[in-house]
Formats: sequence, structure tokens, C-alpha cells
Amino acid sequence: MTDDEKATLRTRDFWGALVLMALSLFFLWRTSFIPLFGENRAGVSGADWYNSAAIVPLGIWSAMFVLSVVLLVIAIRDGGAQRAFTAAGIGWDPAEAIRIATIAIILTFYIFGLVPRVDFIICSGLLITCLIFGYHGSHPRRMIMSAATMALAGLYALIAHFPQAEWGKPHDDDWVSLILWGALTLRTILTAKGPVIRAIPFVAAIVPLILVSAMAFGFRQNVPNRGGLFFSKIEYHYYVTLRPLWRD
Amino acid sequence: MDFFLTQLAGFGAEFIDLITDPVAYIYIVTSVFLGIVFGALPGLTATLAVTILTGFFGNKIPLDYSLIALLGAYVGAIYGGSYPSILLNIPGTAASAATAMDGHPLAKAGRGGEALGLTTTASFIGTLIGTTALLIFVWLLLLISQSIASPEKALLALFGILLSGTLMSEDLVVKGWIAGLAGLAMAMVGLDPLLSEPRYTFGWSYLFSGFQVVPVLMGAFAIPQIIEGLRHVNTGQLVALKGRIMPNTKAIKRHMPTIARSGVIGTGVGALPGVGEDVAGWVSYGVGKSVSHDGKNFGKGSLEGLLSSETANNACIGGALIPLLVLGIPGSPPAAALMGAFKLNNIIPGPTIDPEIILRVVAIMVLASFTMFLMGLFTAKIFIQILRLPQTLFLPVVMVLTTIGSFSVGGGINDLYLMLGVGAVAYLMNLMKYPIAPLVIGVILGGLFDETFRRSLLLSDGDLSVFVSRPGAAILLALNIALIASQFPILQRKFAKLRGR
Repeated sequence: MTDDEKATLRTRDFWGALVLMALSLFFLWRTSFIPLFGENRAGVSGADWYNSAAIVPLGIWSAMFVLSVVLLVIAIRDGGAQRAFTAAGIGWDPAEAIRIATIAIILTFYIFGLVPRVDFIICSGLLITCLIFGYHGSHPRRMIMSAATMALAGLYALIAHFPQAEWGKPHDDDWVSLILWGALTLRTILTAKGPVIRAIPFVAAIVPLILVSAMAFGFRQNVPNRGGLFFSKIEYHYYVTLRPLWRD
Repeated sequence: MDFFLTQLAGFGAEFIDLITDPVAYIYIVTSVFLGIVFGALPGLTATLAVTILTGFFGNKIPLDYSLIALLGAYVGAIYGGSYPSILLNIPGTAASAATAMDGHPLAKAGRGGEALGLTTTASFIGTLIGTTALLIFVWLLLLISQSIASPEKALLALFGILLSGTLMSEDLVVKGWIAGLAGLAMAMVGLDPLLSEPRYTFGWSYLFSGFQVVPVLMGAFAIPQIIEGLRHVNTGQLVALKGRIMPNTKAIKRHMPTIARSGVIGTGVGALPGVGEDVAGWVSYGVGKSVSHDGKNFGKGSLEGLLSSETANNACIGGALIPLLVLGIPGSPPAAALMGAFKLNNIIPGPTIDPEIILRVVAIMVLASFTMFLMGLFTAKIFIQILRLPQTLFLPVVMVLTTIGSFSVGGGINDLYLMLGVGAVAYLMNLMKYPIAPLVIGVILGGLFDETFRRSLLLSDGDLSVFVSRPGAAILLALNIALIASQFPILQRKFAKLRGR
């Protein structure tokens, strides 16, 4: 580790230690909600302190607080506090910030917005297209375009069908995601070159299809959004058209 | 001698049972192949291979086959890391970082085929050394562990977390301990094991059963890897492979003492709780450099250097399974993923484990090492082709694999939220050089620590002397205190002064 890297690390440690101290204090306060000294707990009254469900968490968060103070002292002693309010001090890199922020947007909308509501093949195809197109070659504009596409699909699904009762049907959010996936794929094929880019449509379509089919029909496991636009039809034909062929 | 023969007979019966099952070959060949692919691709790790396969095979097929799939992937991935180390000078896994030191200079000198042949043989022998140690020591330790009660179990779990935090810290030891405590704290979420008191559930019913192991593993190991890897990386020039990949029997015979020493070191390091194959490789490399006559050539293409790291990292696998099977404490991060698979199948590793499972594990390890050896010799060209794949192509696929694997384990969509949350925290921890292994060990051992610590106090009516009155507990408490005290600067200075005298 170079001196510069160490200095950046200590600045981050300074902030990290402060966050840890705050977290420790918050959870120590939350631990005080768990009965410790002889109160009625879980329907059992008159029990002693060593029976309490709070005893171990109390030790953990107290130790965490002490260690975060130690970390804070080390960080301050090594100059972390002096550089704490400078961009260079915390190692701020605009290019890296764009990369991380766009990945965070893509993954957040994928997990929270699309996977519960949109057909798994469509949303995973869109994810694969966004990630390969956006990050192969490290072009910031492509990263932003990928994040915007995923955010658009995710926001529509979240706003149009927020309640759990609407996750399976109707399929308008599936169609929106499918159209966005198609548009991004077209943009990819028309503007970018190279074997990796050419492989995107195939990887994006085949991988989720194989995985979801293997999981649902091979391992007989639950898969996300069984009522999705494509999967509901695949499942129907598997049980109605295909399976009777070998069962009979 | 009788004991050893009984063990051999038990192992022989399990091994014959395994090799006469045609379905076992489908699992072993597929999983070893997948393991080598995961190991060979820089950006994917052995832990990730075992974690992802746990999501797929953990509870969906009979335990025997799921163990074949997971152990096969583990053995394959640790070996597979040597390909990019030798041909690209980029370690495929942290475990093969030391391999690059001598492997790449050998490849540049036109001896890539010989280097790969030697690493294949060394990995094979290393796995067998670790497995033999597993076969012998697991039973001796199981006998000892019969007398272990709650105080010893609590202190042992704490020692495992502290030791993992101490040894896996790249920066400050205090960060390793904080990571371990964070894992312990995560294990406190849900209904407590003795009184069913809800802790930190914030009224969310999903949290009543606590954090599930597989989404935590996926989040901790896969998400940071995906975020970190999604960037343009110049993979460097792949060194053209010259010569056939064949085991060089003369060199192996000549360097047998090095292989034996590295195997023992790897097994020993593996047996330490939470300390993985990367540490085993470097420790063995360091020892090899200081004791070998060829030490000055280490780092310049020394065969002994190559054998030191590559034998040790594979021997570490058997070692890591010893504390897992005997005490329920994972010896390495991939072993923590294996622990997750055991938990999914309602098997509690520890003194009460079914002895047949241990013999089965040993038989699988032997078959996996043979499969790895044959694949290394005859299908190496496929793995070399795979090295050309950019990580921006396969990491998105890994994200989809992780999502569906985590979803199907049981908790559904909530498990995905947990996975992403843990992943974000783990990425920040990586950024600030906090080790992830102690966090995972903490999550896995947290429940055991909480239950046994409180049970000890309950049985002694709150008398804390229960942790010193039993000899085993007193020794473990002393070890815990010594481990913490060893990091105090005042004591470190005094110890250095004493050593100087």
C-alpha cells in the first residue's frame, strides 16, 4: 500500500468509525427495548439477567462501540481527520463515482422493481444487455444510458404495480420492459462493434431462459414471477403440451 | 494401527459405493469442470463457485449428490486459479496469487506446459494430503469434542471469529474484529434461540426467522465481486503454451519433500477457523523461500516456489473441512458456503454428525481430486480458451445466477432484498479494506455463540467462573485473551524487547 493509498484509507476510516459509532449507539438504544433485568420476557417472569436475550447483543454493540473509538483514534492519529473534508482526501474519483452510481441504479431497480413484477426472462435479459453494453469498454455515456433504461423500466413497474396483489398480472410492465430491452439491443447492434457486443442478444436471451426453465422444471423450485408474460406460456406448454408426451 | 485400518475400511466401502454410482459421475465431472472455469476466470472465486452452487444444489437434490457438486466445485476452483496465474500473471483466485510469482516467469521462458503439468500434479497430491489428514484427525478430534460442553463451544466460536478477523485483515486487525462483530450482530436478528424474544425485527415478519445464510453468502461474496469487476480490464497478453501438459515425474520425485512440507502447512493453515487457501499458499511459499536451497530463485521461475504454493492451497481444502465437520466452525470462506448447504439440509456439523457423512466427504474429495487431475491433463486447452472471456461478459450472467439461486432457496423476494443489502455493505467494507470472511463466519457462528454462552450462564446460575473452572474452557479463554492482548501496542513492544534479549 502506497502512502497516498494509506492516507485515503485513513480518511475513509475516519468517516467509517463515525458511522460505526452512530450505529453502535443506535443499536444499543434498540437493545434497551429487550428486557434485561427481571422484567416479564416472552411470558416468563422473574428470570435473571443472564437469561436475557439482550445480554449477548449488549456485549456485541458495546464491543463494536469500543472498537470504532479505537479505529477513530488510529484514523485521527494518521491524519484522517485533517483530510476528511477534501475530495482528494476521501479518494473521490468522478469516473469511478459514475460507474458505481450507475451500477447501484441498475441493481436496485432490477431487484426491487423488476424481479418481483416483470417476467424473469425479460427483466434478466434487460439486465444482461444493460450491464454488458454499459460496462464493456468503460464508456461513461453508455453506463448512463444503461442505468436510465433500467430505471425507466423499474420505475414504470414500481409506480404502475406497487401492491403485491398486482405483481403477477397485468402484463403492461412486461411489455414496457420488453420494448426497452429491444430498443437497447437495437442501439447496441447499430452503434457498437466487437465480438462481445455481438454476443449480447444471444447471451441475454438464452441464459435467463435456460436458468429459469432448469430451476422450475429440472429442480422443481419456485422461480420469480411465475405469471410473467413469457414464463406463464412456457409453463403452460410444459405441463399441457410437452409433459404428456413422456408421461403417456 | 487398528484405528487407521478401520478408517481405511470405512473409506473404502464409501469410495466403492461412490464409484459404482453412474449418477455421481455426472455431478462430479460437471462440478469439477464448473469449478475450474470459476477458478480460471479472474473476477470469480472458489467461494463464489461454492456459494452459487449452494443456491442451485444445496437443497434441491439428495445430500450425497449436493455434497459431490459442492466439493467438486471447491477442489476444481482452487486448482483452476493457477491457469491465469501462470499464463496471464493475473491470479484467478486469491489462493493462487503466490503461484503467479514463479508460474508466469516459467511460462514466459517457454515452460508453460511443464508449469501447468506440475501445478496439476501438485494440486492433486495436495488435495490427497489434506484429505488423508481429514480422514485421520477428524476422528481423533471427534473423540475429544465429545467432552466439549456449552462454555467451550461459546469460547471456541468466539475464538474462531477473532482468529479469522486477526489473520484475514489486510489492513488493521481492528477492522477484522469489527467485521466479525458485524457478522455476530447480524446473527442476533430474529427470535432468540432460548426465549423466542424478537430482536431487531422492526415489525417485519420476514426477520423473525433471522437472516438466511445463502442470501447473506451470495450478497457478501457475489455482489462486491460483480460491482468491482464491471469495468474494462486489460487482461494482458496470454502467454502461448509451449510443451505438453504432462506430469513431470522426475521433478515431482525430486521435490517430494517440498510437496510433503507444503501439504502439511496447507492442511494446518486450513484447519484454522476462517483462514483460507490464499493464506495457506503464501505461508507455504514464505516457508519454502526461507528453508529451500533454491530460495534466492523464488519469484524468478523456481519449480519449488510453484510447488510450495500450489500444493498448499489445495491441501488447505481437507484442512478446512476438519473444524467444519468436528466443531461446526468453517475453516475457510468456501467451507462457510458448505456449512450453508449443511444447514439447508438440516444437518448440524459437530460432535453429533453422522460418521457416514464424514466418510462420504472423504470419498468425494478423493474422486474429485482424481477428476481434477485428469481434466487438468486432458482438457486444459478448453480452460485456456476460457481465459480470453472478458469479465464484463460473464459477470452479468453471474448476477442472474445469483438472483435465481438466492430466490429459490426459500425466502423468495425478501431474500433478494437481503442479498442486495448485504452486498452493498460488503462492497463498502471491501473498499475500506475490511475482510469479508470474519463477517460470514460471524453470521454462521453467531447463533451457536449466543445459545451456548447463555446456556452456560443459565446452568451456572449466572456464575461467570463457569468459563474458567473447566480446563478446556480455561484454555480457550486464555487463547481468546492472548489473541486480543497480542494486538495491544504496549504488549507488542514488550514482547519484541523480550525477543531481542
